[in-house]
Amino acid sequence: MASKTITPVLPDKIITGKEAGLVLCTECHKVHRYIPDAEQECKCCGAELHQRKPDSINRTWAFLIASMILYIPANTMMIMNVAYFGVDEPSTIMGGVILLLQMGSHAVAFVVFVASVLVPLFKMIGIMLILFSLKYKVNMTDRQRIKMFRFIEFIGRWSMLDIFVISILAALVHITGVAEITAGPAATAFGTVVVLTMLAASSFDPRLLWDYKRNNYKNTELNQEPAAD
Amino acid sequence: MQVVVIGRSQVINSRILLCHECDLLIENQDVCEACKVQCPRCGHILYKQKHNTISRSLAYALTALICFYPAVTQPIMTLEMSGLSQQQSLISGSLILLQEKYYVVAILTFLSSCLVPLFRLLLLTYVTLSITLNYYHKSLIWSFRLFHEMEEWGMLEVYMLGIIVAVVKLLSMAEIQPGFGLWAYAALLLSSILATTVLNPHEVWDALLERKTREEPC
Ligand SMILES: [Zn+2]
Ligand SMILES: [Zn+2]
Repeated sequence: MASKTITPVLPDKIITGKEAGLVLCTECHKVHRYIPDAEQECKCCGAELHQRKPDSINRTWAFLIASMILYIPANTMMIMNVAYFGVDEPSTIMGGVILLLQMGSHAVAFVVFVASVLVPLFKMIGIMLILFSLKYKVNMTDRQRIKMFRFIEFIGRWSMLDIFVISILAALVHITGVAEITAGPAATAFGTVVVLTMLAASSFDPRLLWDYKRNNYKNTELNQEPAAD
Repeated sequence: MQVVVIGRSQVINSRILLCHECDLLIENQDVCEACKVQCPRCGHILYKQKHNTISRSLAYALTALICFYPAVTQPIMTLEMSGLSQQQSLISGSLILLQEKYYVVAILTFLSSCLVPLFRLLLLTYVTLSITLNYYHKSLIWSFRLFHEMEEWGMLEVYMLGIIVAVVKLLSMAEIQPGFGLWAYAALLLSSILATTVLNPHEVWDALLERKTREEPC
């Protein structure tokens, strides 16, 4: 059953919940009056109330930098070893993609390349760009920023693909002396990168993107922002 | 830019909506039957008025829970090579990695492909079943919060893609037979996706908070 979507008219004078002294419970969506300098809990569901996620930018930076550091061993060290009749054949993430290409499985090679190389890279660069654009005036429209953030939140978990592939292969190809697939140290590094980038995205508060826009247009006459496309 | 809020309660029950993603304040918004309210500033869906989603979600969640048992215990795939065979199930990958002392990877795999999806299904069943049976307990509130918070960390669908990639990688090397666990797993994946997409969380919160206010007003 298709439901009708109602979009209220954007008011002439935009007021945010923060400016009105209100706070939204992000769990149960009840609106509360904000009490400054107090640890406030939602009276309905017990969740902590914050007008903005506390320390959002610093936490995001911390997770981001840690994930960037671990991204190096994740890509340079061995992620998987294939022992076939006693002959070892260690491979890196990119090595695995190239191997799939040589086998002729172009579609799967592309999927693995996107999930384990492009997604983490795009995610780290994307979060960094968003953080930089809040600090310095980077030429980026709001539409781009919001879309980028939503996309980053959505794709993050798919990079777990390579970790799952390794665990399936390690369980399945485990015939001693004939063929054995074992994980390598890069698997630990890569798994940690995925977790850290997911934590980085979830500690970022998207409302900060709109606050930034607002601070830049505060002095205009009607207190009116340019429309978001 | 003063907003006058009438009443002394901390919780504001008037028709004020705040956007989850951009904090825009919308006043006097009529919430109509069978419609969605979208934020005019950022496009986020503020409110969905969709009823009767709870019992359908419960049906799917129960189906998923039934599928969980064979999906974990039965082999997903069997590999045959030089007359020898090896089976793989949802948890055997984590166990092998644990034996090889890759603790981080083993725990990560186990959590995201097994424990978190199972726990979320249990929480969802608990909440939806209680609402259906008109039962209320304080733990329902945090159960549903936890269900929502763990959303990102259950990765059944990514694991499915992992199975496909693993099969393609092994095709040239050995013969692979699908096991009963694979079909159970596919059914589990489908019903758990349906259980979460069919559910309207706003309806659950309305039902839970209505029952809560009978005991103590919030
Ligand atoms: Zn709440
Ligand atoms: Zn909005």
